[in-house]
Amino acid sequence: MLRKVGTICVMLTLALFLIIAGCKKKPEKGAEDTKSKPEYKSKGDEGTITGKIAFDGTPPVGKKIDMSQDAQCASAATDKTVDDIVVTDGKLQNVFVYVKGGGVEKFSYDVPSDPVVLDQQGCRYHPRVMGIQTQQTLKIVNSDPTTHNIHPSPKLNPEFNQSQPQGAPPIEKKFNRKEILIPVKCNQHPWMKANIAVLDHPYFAVSAKDGSYTIKNVPPGTYTIVFWHETLGEQTASITVAAKESKTQDMTYKAGAAAAPASMEIAPTLVLP
Amino acid sequence: MNDRPASTSRQRSLKDQVGNRETVKSNLGIHRFAITVACLTVVLLAAGALVTSNEAGDSVPDWPLSFGRWLVSKDHFVANVRYEYSHRFLAGIVGVTTLLLAVWAWFAERRAWVRKLALLAFAGVVAQAIIGGVRVHFPEYKALIAVPHALVAQSFFGAVVAIAVFTSRGWLAQREVRLDAGNPSLRTLSAITVAAVLVQLVLGAGFRHQAFGIAPHIVGAVAVASLIIWTSVVVFRRHKGDAYLTRPARLAAILVVLQLGLGIAAYFARLASAGDPQPLEPMISLTVAHLMVGALTLATMIVLTLRSHKALAALNVTGNRAPASPVRRAII
Repeated sequence: MLRKVGTICVMLTLALFLIIAGCKKKPEKGAEDTKSKPEYKSKGDEGTITGKIAFDGTPPVGKKIDMSQDAQCASAATDKTVDDIVVTDGKLQNVFVYVKGGGVEKFSYDVPSDPVVLDQQGCRYHPRVMGIQTQQTLKIVNSDPTTHNIHPSPKLNPEFNQSQPQGAPPIEKKFNRKEILIPVKCNQHPWMKANIAVLDHPYFAVSAKDGSYTIKNVPPGTYTIVFWHETLGEQTASITVAAKESKTQDMTYKAGAAAAPASMEIAPTLVLP
Repeated sequence: MNDRPASTSRQRSLKDQVGNRETVKSNLGIHRFAITVACLTVVLLAAGALVTSNEAGDSVPDWPLSFGRWLVSKDHFVANVRYEYSHRFLAGIVGVTTLLLAVWAWFAERRAWVRKLALLAFAGVVAQAIIGGVRVHFPEYKALIAVPHALVAQSFFGAVVAIAVFTSRGWLAQREVRLDAGNPSLRTLSAITVAAVLVQLVLGAGFRHQAFGIAPHIVGAVAVASLIIWTSVVVFRRHKGDAYLTRPARLAAILVVLQLGLGIAAYFARLASAGDPQPLEPMISLTVAHLMVGALTLATMIVLTLRSHKALAALNVTGNRAPASPVRRAII
């Protein structure tokens, strides 16, 4: 009987590994999809979308972060409060704004040669929210006197988890598939969080400290403009940009808004009640 | 002529006594070592729970080395790496001690099935290490891998506890076998309860690693608590005077009450900490304690189940002892 039990255990373990090994890797079709699309050619009639994002109500007090588990962090960090909701004079920072529809997905766009930099400084990610184009270089820098783990958890792009000691050269990565948004964390310092939006077009922005954002060179058309905040949720509006028009689209978030943004799917592996 | 048989029988009797004494001595040595391995495994389970509770599972990005070394440098042993590396270090200790247990049992244990169980335990700890390594190299499948990792951990712990039982003085002693009257029999009920506890541990791991929600684990808690209380009641009603059974039954009943309280406290602590920037107390300690008591509950129920199979026998329709069950035939 023990032999049977042992055999069953071995078979179950082997089956488990076969299942995991047989699980399909996330397909990286992003590069191929881009190549099949016609390249966008500017007609010189592009417009601009600008706006300000306000916060209505009393912003929550940022919770204190306990950095005592790493003495280097405790001494390097100038700000030890959670920075997911940053409100200055009634204006909300770190809202990711992007357009969809209106034909933007029909074209491929030049990938900027300049990398987008994600810095680890004071044991925080800077910036906390960022946008990047598919196949654009993400440059990860460690400016701290301690080791960090850069660990994005995408659903459509390959996941990676890389250690970056003090003084290590920058890590450069690219995302080939559009994905909104990819949570990033440091496994060594669990309070460190960031969000990366990967788009296949350049029409996006992140609101600044004064709540302002600007999306340049938007082709004329009617779009859905999406405002995404990691804690306060997602809001949308319809916007029509005429040729060479500078269109303003403001947005207001209210205190106590939903905590689960629609575009950030935290789906369990199995769905059970 | 009469002497030879007598002499032979006396010699055989003496040899058996000496052989039995030696067997008992070596079994007690293995028994104590198995207890040591079980205790180390409890510490290892706690270390693993701390890794998950502190979100430290990916803090060491390579395996089997840690930052390219077997022993990490002091500079690396900070923040969440402390939890992950300590877990790996303890796992190595448990692996080595389990190997020693298997080798010792192989050479000193007369019962083949005990030797094989010790080998199975060693295979389990090796498999567990590999699963842990797969978890590190494939972080995108962490939910799928973490649940088997938890299941194998508890199963390995159960195997070591079983070895400790099988090599104990109480197991090796001659006992009067009593009839396991009643429906369901205690042996069946306790075995079902062990299986239920294992399923509940898997459901807890699934919730913890976000494979599925809390509802299955709550339903399981009610079922497991009911089964353990029922089993304890059966023990005290039918075998009140037998400390061999009542002690683990009493301990199981105490543990399940403690476990329910810890589970409720851990869940509400988790809800209250939803907006925290990082895992904090008391959520961490309550969750780890809940996991540890769960493991101890499993161990206690395994002890009760094995002891019930040792001490009790089936009742056939004529009221006489029925042929031994497959478990009993295999292990008695």
